[in-house]
Amino acid sequence: MEQVKVTIALILAILAQWSLRNVAEPFAYVDFPLIIIVFAALQRNSMRAIIYGTLAGLAVDALSSGLLGANGFTKTLVAYLVSELARRVYLDNLFLRMIVIAGACLVDDLAYYGLHQLLGITPSAPLVTTVAYSFIGTLIAGTTIFFVLDYFSSDRLRPRRRESLSQRRQSRRRNPIKLGR
Amino acid sequence: MTPWLVIFLLLGNFILMVFNARVEGGERVIKVWALTVADFVQSPVTTISSGVSNYFISFAELRSAQDENTQLKERVQELEVEIKGRSDLEAENERLRQLLDLKEKSKYRVLTARIIGRDPSAWFNSAVINRGSLDGVALNMPVVTDGGLVGRITAVGPLTAQVDLITHDKSGLGAVIGEIGNSNALGVVSGTGKTDLVEMRYVSGSIEVQPGQVVFTTGQDGIYPDGLKVGEIVEVISGSATVPHRIFIRPAAGLGSMQEVGILLYEQPQKPDFERSLAPGERTTRRPDSSPQ
Repeated sequence: MEQVKVTIALILAILAQWSLRNVAEPFAYVDFPLIIIVFAALQRNSMRAIIYGTLAGLAVDALSSGLLGANGFTKTLVAYLVSELARRVYLDNLFLRMIVIAGACLVDDLAYYGLHQLLGITPSAPLVTTVAYSFIGTLIAGTTIFFVLDYFSSDRLRPRRRESLSQRRQSRRRNPIKLGR
Repeated sequence: MTPWLVIFLLLGNFILMVFNARVEGGERVIKVWALTVADFVQSPVTTISSGVSNYFISFAELRSAQDENTQLKERVQELEVEIKGRSDLEAENERLRQLLDLKEKSKYRVLTARIIGRDPSAWFNSAVINRGSLDGVALNMPVVTDGGLVGRITAVGPLTAQVDLITHDKSGLGAVIGEIGNSNALGVVSGTGKTDLVEMRYVSGSIEVQPGQVVFTTGQDGIYPDGLKVGEIVEVISGSATVPHRIFIRPAAGLGSMQEVGILLYEQPQKPDFERSLAPGERTTRRPDSSPQ
């Protein structure tokens, strides 16, 4: 079920990336698929995150004037790096996740620009401005989307929390010291 | 398993990129499919967003409508007096304009289109329009606005097409400073990597060039017809007798704010058979006098 939710979120992110720039130019600086890929990678299923990264990247490249495969390359790389990081470090804190989104955005943008330069194509947008705006836009949107995704995906966690709390209460009641009094 | 999958996918994407960077002017099948799928999302989103935006704009403009109405009535009266006073001059002007319009209209048929999507990446600035092969749009057709040249069609789906702007790094077109036939300042206009500036190269340094002069297409590139306005010169780095000028031009079409464009249903002149049969490498190296005897 969780996989279906993330897949739907990824499809919506791709569609948003395709269409929202024409509604308002600032949406160009929000990388919706990257946010979902980072979310998927943080769930410690690296294989799924990597495949999502490639597919989402190619979908964005298909409608872009840039090189076909450039976003596919960078998003695959980001998915792998984040999933490896999530395996080694505990990243369930929102503040840490914000740092991960920011880092992922920087790696994605710089790798994208670098690959184009390597193959002799200069992107139309200036490097520093675009990276800075993307950083801000993706970080704000990413934090908001993570809140929403966490809300929808944490329904399985809530009963577990309740169960653990009730067990604790029970154990307190059965405390032999308290019973002895 | 995962590192091998990553290496395989990264390598696959890199090969795609290298192949894509090498092949110029070709149409990608994946792009045609993506354009078709995206149309089902982009068209409704654009229609809804423009509807909502127009509603709020009209609501905001209602406040000043009364004052504007009074001003317009006064202006209409002034214009009526002006028209009566200049009827002879106007009639002559109209005749000349009709002649000019007839000349332009008979040359190319224009298909109007709405921009329904922009480049999903912040690094580039292409546009998706709501006309495709079913409307008669074909690859490499020029796209214009009333201001000037916008770019050319680089991918065509059945209902939509993609337009690459003249500011794109890989774009190039033959251009002349001033009217063709009256000027010998010929050169090539290409993108600079900036969204509001293009560069004209190979203009001889011995020709005098001033900022403010207008640049038009020559039609010699085999894609764009001659006489389309490209833009106005904003900066000239002067060359010498042996070094060409570097000329920077601001595009005449408002590339950042356009919402509607016109597609020129213009068929490019056929290339000679011998040129089409040559491989790309041979086209540049082989000369007419080096043919075997």
